[in-house]
Amino acid sequence: MQAEPSREAPVAVCNLTKTFLDESRGTIHAVDGINFECRESEVFGLLGANGAGKTTTLRMLSTIIAPSSGTARILGHDIVKDPAGVRRNMGFFSASTALYPRLTARETIEFFARINQYPKDKVEARVDALIERFGISEYAGVRVEKLSTGMKQKVSIARAVAHNPRIVIFDEPTSGLDVLNAIEVHHAIRELRDDGRTIIFSTHIMSEAEKLCDRIAIIHKGRILACDTFAGLREITGLHYLEDIFLRFVRGPA
Amino acid sequence: MNWAALRLLYVHEMRMVLRSPRTIVIALVLPAVLMPLMISGSRLIQQRQTIRLDETTFEYAVTGPWADQARELIKSYRDSAEFMSFDVEEREVSDPDAALRDGRLHFYIRTLDVDEGDKAAKQAAEASVAGLDQPLPATGVPALQVVYLGSREIARAGAERMTDMMRAARRNESYAILIARGFPSHPDGILATTNDNLATESQISGSNLGRFFTVVLVVWIVAAGSIAAMDIIAGEKERGTLETLITTGAGRTEIATAKHLAICTVGIAITFMQVLYALVYIRLRVITLPPEFAIDLSAQSVLQLFILFIPLAAAIAAALLIVSAYAKTYKEAQLQFFPLFMGSLVPSLAAVIPGLKSRSIISLVPVANVSVAVREVLTGRPDHLMIGVTVAVMSLTAGLLIRYSAKLLAREDIVVSTQHEQSALEGGDSLFQRQVFRWFAVLWAVTFAAAANVPQLQSPLTQVLFNEVVIFFGASVFMIHRYRLDVRKVLGIRRMPWQIFAAVLMAVPAAQVVAVAFFRIVSIFIPTPGDLLRQLAKQIAPTSLPVWQMILFMALLPAVCEELAFRGLLLHGLRHRFHPIVRCLVIGIIFGVFHYTLFRIAPTALLGVILTGIAVMTGSILPGMLFHAANNSLAIGMESANISLSRLDGFTYATAIAVFALSMHVIWRYGKQAREN
Repeated sequence: MQAEPSREAPVAVCNLTKTFLDESRGTIHAVDGINFECRESEVFGLLGANGAGKTTTLRMLSTIIAPSSGTARILGHDIVKDPAGVRRNMGFFSASTALYPRLTARETIEFFARINQYPKDKVEARVDALIERFGISEYAGVRVEKLSTGMKQKVSIARAVAHNPRIVIFDEPTSGLDVLNAIEVHHAIRELRDDGRTIIFSTHIMSEAEKLCDRIAIIHKGRILACDTFAGLREITGLHYLEDIFLRFVRGPA
Repeated sequence: MNWAALRLLYVHEMRMVLRSPRTIVIALVLPAVLMPLMISGSRLIQQRQTIRLDETTFEYAVTGPWADQARELIKSYRDSAEFMSFDVEEREVSDPDAALRDGRLHFYIRTLDVDEGDKAAKQAAEASVAGLDQPLPATGVPALQVVYLGSREIARAGAERMTDMMRAARRNESYAILIARGFPSHPDGILATTNDNLATESQISGSNLGRFFTVVLVVWIVAAGSIAAMDIIAGEKERGTLETLITTGAGRTEIATAKHLAICTVGIAITFMQVLYALVYIRLRVITLPPEFAIDLSAQSVLQLFILFIPLAAAIAAALLIVSAYAKTYKEAQLQFFPLFMGSLVPSLAAVIPGLKSRSIISLVPVANVSVAVREVLTGRPDHLMIGVTVAVMSLTAGLLIRYSAKLLAREDIVVSTQHEQSALEGGDSLFQRQVFRWFAVLWAVTFAAAANVPQLQSPLTQVLFNEVVIFFGASVFMIHRYRLDVRKVLGIRRMPWQIFAAVLMAVPAAQVVAVAFFRIVSIFIPTPGDLLRQLAKQIAPTSLPVWQMILFMALLPAVCEELAFRGLLLHGLRHRFHPIVRCLVIGIIFGVFHYTLFRIAPTALLGVILTGIAVMTGSILPGMLFHAANNSLAIGMESANISLSRLDGFTYATAIAVFALSMHVIWRYGKQAREN
């Protein structure tokens, strides 16, 4: 059982549970009563294998799906009681969230800024700033369907933060990207963190978690087995590499 | 409702639709090009066909004992003004059937002596359908038959002309005999009847147009709206943009409403474009209207039509949105629109039913009410109160459907694409549950297409054999094999208490009376022409077959094959969908739709609901099979013995209802025990 999160934390997750009913396999606890909190200016990593419950957790936090029990508060907005409030204050980026192919890069960012109720009079300036920041000025008027994978990834991040949210979720953002594009994504995440935002970052790649995350939660079969800084995890286990630490928690002591 | 978000989303959806080359081509460019091409093409084909027919010298032979008399008749009539362009030439052949098959003859005339003529007359009487205008051949006289191969178009046209010539000859010869024997004047002059139509040309045109106007508009709106609907949710799911959209600050209600409005706009806009194209083509004389066609619509009538069609378009758009939401991919959406397309066509045909007025219960049936009200407007007899009721019913329907579609967007299994992939990977039972509707839509389309296009399936017996054995039995076995389904589980084969079977046998005669009571009540609101019902009865149970064959083919075979398909496979596939009562209704309606002759849908659907109810209550198809077989056998027996249930008193109806209710109670009680065991 993890400790109850602080109510003041930007993200506070309390006994969050998600069960699915599958005819052949019965009740599946995809997420099983997890607790954690994320702090300001922090990259909080959810590290787990495929099917560990990372995406389900993040989908509940972004209100795509509702929890079976428990809840979470995002900047004071309850994900069950006030999902619209949560979404307005959060950016969500995942491998499964795509872009509209028939919109240009500029139109994409502008649409997401407006739909997330960014102040009308500041939308244009915000869009210009993001285009400048992500280096997509040359392609701003080009339809997304004609952009390269790397450019699309940049537009995707820009649209996720178009309304300047304080919390940004990245669900396996480098999945399917080459090294150079993955480095670009890492760079963007660090910048957002340095800008004072809270980042929740899920991955199954150890090196990513090691390099990017200020704190790491190891999630396995819907439960959080450990949550600490990389240094803290090293200290608890006495192991040097994150991969060994991960295996220690998932499989138990050798 | 956040109106600013709604407006933004609507503009966004419209921008997506307008930027889709597929939508523009399919919805705007193709109809504009295809309509004149199709019309000109069909006109050209028709002209060439006429020229070809006129240029053809039809080769024929005459056989049988009255051949010389037939030749005389042909000789005396081929030069008459009526058959001047009909060029025929007789050929000598030893085997006329072989000559027909290898194309040496277009047709031949078989003359029959009295015995053969009687035999042919008897066969014609057995194959005929009561209520048709065609007189049956007389007995005790020689007869002529024009024999041809219907699969050869030219030969068929020639045979039809020759049949007309022979009939004209027979009529004139009979008249000549009558006059020769002292009949005082030409027989056509006796009691000569003419008619005097008091309706204006506009009213007649309005009545004719009104029957099909709603059908045509529904087809256009569904076809046009589906192009947008497919892209708007199913396409978004496939691309992954739906998940992007629902993580924004916009609410699900705003998202669903904006999508609905976009589909509605596209549906109406494209329908408007189609009407515009039609008007332009009429103006350019690409489409020629009949000379007596005249529609005189006042501004008020146009407004009434507009008011009637707006909620209809809204309801169709919402239904399209729901179908698109349930589909996981663009391709799946394309398949799932077909049942909706057919489902919306059936009620829109309500205006075809003679005598049906909007001031009846039909005003509460969505789509059908618009169809009837539109006919009344076009014939210049609008019922303002019922137009109001119709608009209210359609608006309520549209509202409920929109609300439901908004709820759908809150459902995880609808919006999260990865939830669906599991069943596809697992295959088997879970995949079958997802695809069961698709299978039955395909089966329906095959039965419909086969019945309409295969001449060998025109007789009731061959149609029953094809539908039962090939479609229902064959497809059921294929589905069981394809999805590796557990047969015992699908069919619910288990020991049943004898009380269930006893109750089924007790329920059957009571159900016949209950059904009559039910349809007597329904016919108060939806009048059904007697001729059609009589014709229908004949088609269901052709008296040409011996009773044992009728029981075998019309009772036992359907009981086994249809129960296997509908209460076995379909019910199994839907067992986790819908409330049990809704499930009974859905399966009952689908069962009715498979018996697609317009007036058979309702009684068969009622039977389907009862049979599904029995299968749900007992968890097995066996009691339903017994009910189905006993019900059809009883109906055949009563038809054979000329027993009619149409004149029963109130006490009989009340007793039958009580017996039926008691039987159902027994089935439910012992069925529950059987399921728990």
